[in-house]
This record gives sequence, C-alpha cells and structure tokens, in this order.
Amino acid sequence: MAQGRKGRLNYRCPACFMRDLDIDMFYDKDKDEYYCLRCQFTGNEAEVLAMNEQIKKKYKVMLKRIPLEDYED
Amino acid sequence: MDKFVVNIIHRPEMVPEYAEKVTGHGKAEDIGRKALLTESLDIFKTQQRCAHENGLKTTIQMTYASLFNDEAVALAKEHHEKYGDEIALTLLGLPCKEFREKYKTKDFCIWMFSMEDKKAIVRDVFEKFHERFGFYPESTGSYYMDAELINYIKAQYPTVKCAVATCWEEGPKAYHTCNNSWYTFMDGGPWAPWIPSKVNTHAPAANAAEDSGIVAIPHLSRDLLACYDGNGSNFGTHPQNVLRGMIYDTKTWEFPYLYNLIDQYRHLAKYNNGYSYNMMFVGPGWMNKMGRWEAPYELLLKSYEEGCAYYGKLKKEGKLQDMTMSEFADYYRSKKTYTEPECALWNDILYGSEKQLFWYCDPYMRACVNMDQGGAIVDLRPYAAKLEWPVGIGTEHIQDASYPFLIQEKYRAGYFTHYAGEGTVRSAKVCYKGEEVDLCLCRTKAHFSQNGKDRVLTLDPVDIEFEDLTVKLQSVITFTEGSSEIKIDRKIVEMSDPAAKVDIQEYMVACYGTTEYTEDMSSLKLRVEAKGNSVDIPYEYKCREASREGADSVSCVVPPIKTLVTLKAEGPEKAGFVREGYAFSPMFTLGYTGKLHDKEVFTTWLKVERAD
Repeated sequence: MAQGRKGRLNYRCPACFMRDLDIDMFYDKDKDEYYCLRCQFTGNEAEVLAMNEQIKKKYKVMLKRIPLEDYED
Repeated sequence: MDKFVVNIIHRPEMVPEYAEKVTGHGKAEDIGRKALLTESLDIFKTQQRCAHENGLKTTIQMTYASLFNDEAVALAKEHHEKYGDEIALTLLGLPCKEFREKYKTKDFCIWMFSMEDKKAIVRDVFEKFHERFGFYPESTGSYYMDAELINYIKAQYPTVKCAVATCWEEGPKAYHTCNNSWYTFMDGGPWAPWIPSKVNTHAPAANAAEDSGIVAIPHLSRDLLACYDGNGSNFGTHPQNVLRGMIYDTKTWEFPYLYNLIDQYRHLAKYNNGYSYNMMFVGPGWMNKMGRWEAPYELLLKSYEEGCAYYGKLKKEGKLQDMTMSEFADYYRSKKTYTEPECALWNDILYGSEKQLFWYCDPYMRACVNMDQGGAIVDLRPYAAKLEWPVGIGTEHIQDASYPFLIQEKYRAGYFTHYAGEGTVRSAKVCYKGEEVDLCLCRTKAHFSQNGKDRVLTLDPVDIEFEDLTVKLQSVITFTEGSSEIKIDRKIVEMSDPAAKVDIQEYMVACYGTTEYTEDMSSLKLRVEAKGNSVDIPYEYKCREASREGADSVSCVVPPIKTLVTLKAEGPEKAGFVREGYAFSPMFTLGYTGKLHDKEVFTTWLKVERAD
C-alpha cells in the first residue's frame, strides 16, 4: 500500500472539525478514501462533503444578511 | 456623525506561513524555492490591487525577507507614491534564508525570542528597512508585541507610533484547534485599538506616565461572541478565516456573515462616542494558488475581492474612512483620553441564539457580561495590577502572553454544570423558603446608556418563580470610568406577595490563570473585614468558610497576579462571607447575603487593585 497523500484540495476531517479541530486528512488512492490521522474518520469525497454541510447547520443564520437597524442598543 | 475607520494591511511575506508546508507537501523543505518567492509576491500584488481598485489605501508592512527583494521594495515605493500607502515594517515574516543563516533558528514569533535576540532582530530589521527606504518606519507589529519589546523599539526608533500588538482571544482555543501545535497564547487583551502600558501590553495605560508611546491595534476585528467560545481564526474580518470556519454557501459561495461582522463593528460607534474600528490583515499564505483546505483559490480570491469591495462601497457612501496605521495613531490620540473605556454590546450574528454579551475594557479591567446568564460576569481580567509579565525564552513565560483572569467561564466552568459547585462566575442567587434560583438561569437582554463617566447596562427584568411566590428582579450594571469598580444594583421590581421577603446572595467565584488548568492557590488569602471582628483565611484547600454580619468588605489577595479583589455591599441585613476552595474545586468565593422586600435594592461594588 502506497503512502497517504494530500489531494488538490486538502480536506479537513469533518468529525474533528465538529469538535473545533482543524486536522488535514490524507488520501488513500487504493481505497479511494480520505482518512484522519487523529480520529477514526474515513470517507470518500462525497461523504466528506456531506458532513461538511452538516457542520454548517450550527450556523443557523449564516446566510441571513442582518440590517444595521436590527442591533440592540 | 459616526466615524468608522478601517486599516487595511498587506505584507509581502516571501515565505508565507502555511504556504511552504502546504504547497511543498511531499518535497523536502526549501524556503528559498524560486516558485515560492514568485507566488508570494504575486499574492501581495493581488491584495494591493483589490484594495486600490476599491479606492482604499493600505499599510504595506514590509517583512524582513521582503527587504532583500528588489521588486517588493520597488512596489512599496511605487504604491506609496501612487496611492498614499504607508510603508511600514512588520516583525512577522522573519523566516527566509538570510534570517535562518544569521540566527540559526526556526523561531519566527518575535515575542518568543530571548530579549537579547529581540533587540538584535529589531536592530537588524529596522536598519535593513532604513537601508532600503532611507527612513525609519512609523508602524510595526506582530501577532503579539510584549511590553519589553515595545519599550525597546520606542526607545531605539521613536518614529514608531502604531503597532499590531495582539490577536484577540488567540490562546488555548487556537492551540487546540491546531491539534496543540500553534503556540500563540495571547488571551485577555483588548479587541479594539488601545494605548498599551509600559508594563504590560494587554493592559491599557491609565495616564501619560504609563503610556508606552504607541497606539496598538488588534490583529483582525473578531466576532466578540463566536471567538470567545470557539476557534478565533474562524470569525474575524479576514475573509479567508470565514471560509476556514466554513461560513459560506457551498453552491453560491456567498458569505454574508463577513458583512454582518463588519456591520456589527460599525454599530459599536453607539457605545464609543461615535467611533468604531475595523482592521483587515490577510497573510499571503491564505491566498495560496493551491487553495486552502477545501476552499479552492478561486474562492479565496473571491472572498478577498468582495471583502475589499464592501469596504470600498462603504467608503464611497461616506460611511467609512480608510487610514494608514500611522494616520490612525494620530487620529486615535486626538480623540482618546486614557481612561475612556471601550464598550461593545455584542449580538450573536451566526448561530441564531439571540445571545448577547457586553464587553468592557479600560486601564483597570476587561470584563464580559453575559445577558444569557442574567447579566453574570463571565470573564474578568484585573488590568489594575498592571502585571509585569515578560515573555520569551529566558523568562517564566516563554510562550504564554495572556493576561491572567480572575473569572473565565469557558476555562473554569462558570455556572454550575457538572459536579462540585460553581466554576468562576460573578452572579447572584435569590432564595425563598428553601428554594434557590441563580440569575445565571434567567435569560435577558441589556440596554446601554452613558451618563457622564458612567457606562450603564440596564437589563430587562427577569421573573423568578418559586412555589408560592413570583419575583420580578432587575439588574443594573454600572462601570464608572476610572473607578476600577463594577457596581451592580439588584432591584425587586414586583412580587406576587408584596409583603414577602426574599434572600439575595451576591457571589463571585474566582481563581487565577491563563489556561484551563488550575494553578497553585496556596499563597492566596481571604478576608472578611468587619469592625473589630475581621477574619482571615490563608489558603490551604480546607474548604473553610467565614462570614460576618454587616461586613465592610470581603476580599482576596492573589499574589501570583499581584491582584487584590474586593467586594463591598449596601443593602438590608447585609452579611459578608468568604469560602475557601478545596482540591477538587479549588476556586474561592467572595459574597454578600441580604434580605429584600418589594421595591428594595441591594448594591455591590466589585473592585480590582494591584495588591502591592
């Protein structure tokens, strides 16, 4: 089995990101999967991207533009 | 009219942090690679273009490495002439072949070097700058600038009047986010520009004698709620940090959060006599052609272009004034008195929680009030001590530049959530017939007002429900400029039984430290001051308590941070108490109890002073 490599985009481990850790993943071309050195996460690109969308759910108003007038004083 | 000032800072960093490791994955380290140098300068040119196309002037902070690059020097001179950009000098970006050969180290954070090396590097870098430009810079900076370093620079190069001097709440949280590999510990400082004291950079100067001679600005303007809880590097006016936090729409690449963040900073003018501030400072490593994590270069570029475009739009609308760092220093000095506080009533603009924090900073303290916990003080840094805290190799704090806390709810528990009572927090409990309700559980909102020297936070009244009594209670928190005190009034606004009497217990649980882990409390001393009947408890972790009716004050001396913290009270049937911690729950408690009828008020004053 060849060594892990970084892809063109260096995906971070989504499981670690959920606990506020930025951990670069490595890519295993034989298994076509990304894997985390720190935790037990493994997944292909589609799984990584889907989990990244899950991460964003905590940002409930991420896409809402807030007018200046809305701030409390 | 309100004035919203922005500093946009670029640095031609010839060997950007991250870039060498990221772009060079699979290759042996070579910081002199031509491709790396060329790309780094290209990124700098792109950043400059983004600002200039939007009518914004910049401060060009030359790095040591860039002073050896003729093209970078020529570009700086050209942009100074053409756009009015300031040519300044940063102490970031030290790594390059010349630096490594001379100093024989891979260290790159100026505050972590020995004092001897700091002086040598400063002389080296400033003289090289002078050799290339024929003058000494007026602005400098790093992620953090310790007081000894600032004092040395100011003595040797008095032209310097502005410096990037801390990165707000970049400490243990950032360390953890980087898998415990990023050693920048600088919690506990101001979030907005300030005049550092000569003794401790984080503590603002209280007068001319304490003035370090520079105006400090923070590295980025950060979300005062999201950064307090989470990784600071996801929530600042650094467009790529917003991408790092994945705070954008994957399909459209829109990131309105960045503009909300900038706008909330604009709003802070309401609390600061019509002035508010932003800074944007993106290292070139964040605009790497290889992309950064899951963000491709195109998205990195888009975020920077659109970030600059938003500032440019505000400028065109007359809602923003761009300044260079040295221009800002002059402006700041012209408008600011030493004791004028910085205030920020900050709303959650990301999670939809409607939480609200109030941050207060002056030469005597930095405090955070959490309205989601009934107005509890959840962070307190006793700047009044002006603590000597040298950092760098050869000192007691090689990496740790944080200003110590007395209260920090994230690192030391806050309101009771687990096992052994409260962690550090300043709150109150209301008790009636054996029932007890902590105001930390009473969510509310605050309204800011200014009355002369007083900054007043008036909280919406909260309802406290006992089995057979409902109490409506209001908290008013007053910070009086220059007093080193926080006054809290608790007023019974209404009771379902007007004849009832409730007990109130005002308390502060505290300790000291800069991280999550406890420090040795053995040298602390608790005291209840009462006429002819005072009592002391030297700390021995024995879980002892003492109280006195009518006590004049309760206090604790915290020698390791040279701080005396005192609580005083006025109100019916007051009694002061202190509690010593024990090994499993080592924090101390200062407090007062009292009894309140309808419409009555119980008032406390929390004061921090230097202990010696």
